[in-house]
Amino acid sequence: MNTPEYVGWAIALLFLCSVICRAGYMLLGDYLPLSEGFRRALRYAPAAALTAILVPDMLPWTLEHGPRFDYRLIAGIVAILVFLRTRSTVMVIVSGMVALWMLRWMLG
Amino acid sequence: MLEGLTAMRPALIATFTWGLVTGVAMVKSGLTESMAIAMTLLVYAGSAQLTSLPLIASGAPLWLIFAAGCVVNVRFIIFGAALHPFFRHLSWPRRLALGYFTTDMAFVLFIPRFGDARVRGTREQLWFFLGAIVPGWFAWQSSSILGVVLGASVPTEWALEFAAVLALLAITIPLVKTRPMVMAVVCAGAVAWVGQLLPLRLGLAAAVIAGVTAGVLAEKALARGKA
Repeated sequence: MNTPEYVGWAIALLFLCSVICRAGYMLLGDYLPLSEGFRRALRYAPAAALTAILVPDMLPWTLEHGPRFDYRLIAGIVAILVFLRTRSTVMVIVSGMVALWMLRWMLG
Repeated sequence: MLEGLTAMRPALIATFTWGLVTGVAMVKSGLTESMAIAMTLLVYAGSAQLTSLPLIASGAPLWLIFAAGCVVNVRFIIFGAALHPFFRHLSWPRRLALGYFTTDMAFVLFIPRFGDARVRGTREQLWFFLGAIVPGWFAWQSSSILGVVLGASVPTEWALEFAAVLALLAITIPLVKTRPMVMAVVCAGAVAWVGQLLPLRLGLAAAVIAGVTAGVLAEKALARGKA
């Protein structure tokens, strides 16, 4: 088990990391000018980042096991279809979770 | 601010679920309850926290924990660059606070709404942003602490973490409205899929770069087609 000092330092460094990455540009932005083209490009960043966070959960690929199929992919597709029909976030979570539980229950 | 609040509602569900999952994960990876609560209150960055947990559990060197946290948080530098023109008129302590409390959700909701605004730095924009980050903070901290307290009593078979994935999905789909955005998402997804083999979640950074590049190229191609 790790010492409380070690964990404390890890937390302090991660706090520093949060402050630097998040507030750094807000504070020093006037000294780091960005072109309009670059700013336009940044509009694609959020959708790209969210997709990149989602993909490993639905289409896992690890060094030991290679690319794998997971029921989550089907549950995710069900949830997307439900969202396109209903536009409801709650329905996305409910339908996706139910789809996942059903798939695991029926197919093991 | 009310507009920001309303726009935040689906995002709050995502935030709450993520917070709960992160809270449970912190305790399950061996942090004491007080350390876990200190971590959520200070670090306030779910992905960086989740990345650091296996490193802390295995006693990795502190510099590696710091570096991994920075890589996962690098998107916030991009967010900061995009948000800066809207808040540059504020005093530095306020900019420090706005920056520190910036979340993915606030950025994702703010830029599609005000990204093309002709006047930047209006009160409406500031209040919308506050309406997104203040409830986000409360939702995150309360659910995270709840997760810490509930700890091990949530059965793993519930696959609660998938609810967080689904909530993020509901935020992503409405963003994909234009053809360049479709290209950006497809390319980011492909790179993220292969990029899972990279260590330290570097695949995430690679996917963001690929998605942004694809979006810009598609935008240019489309403009040429019209001209």
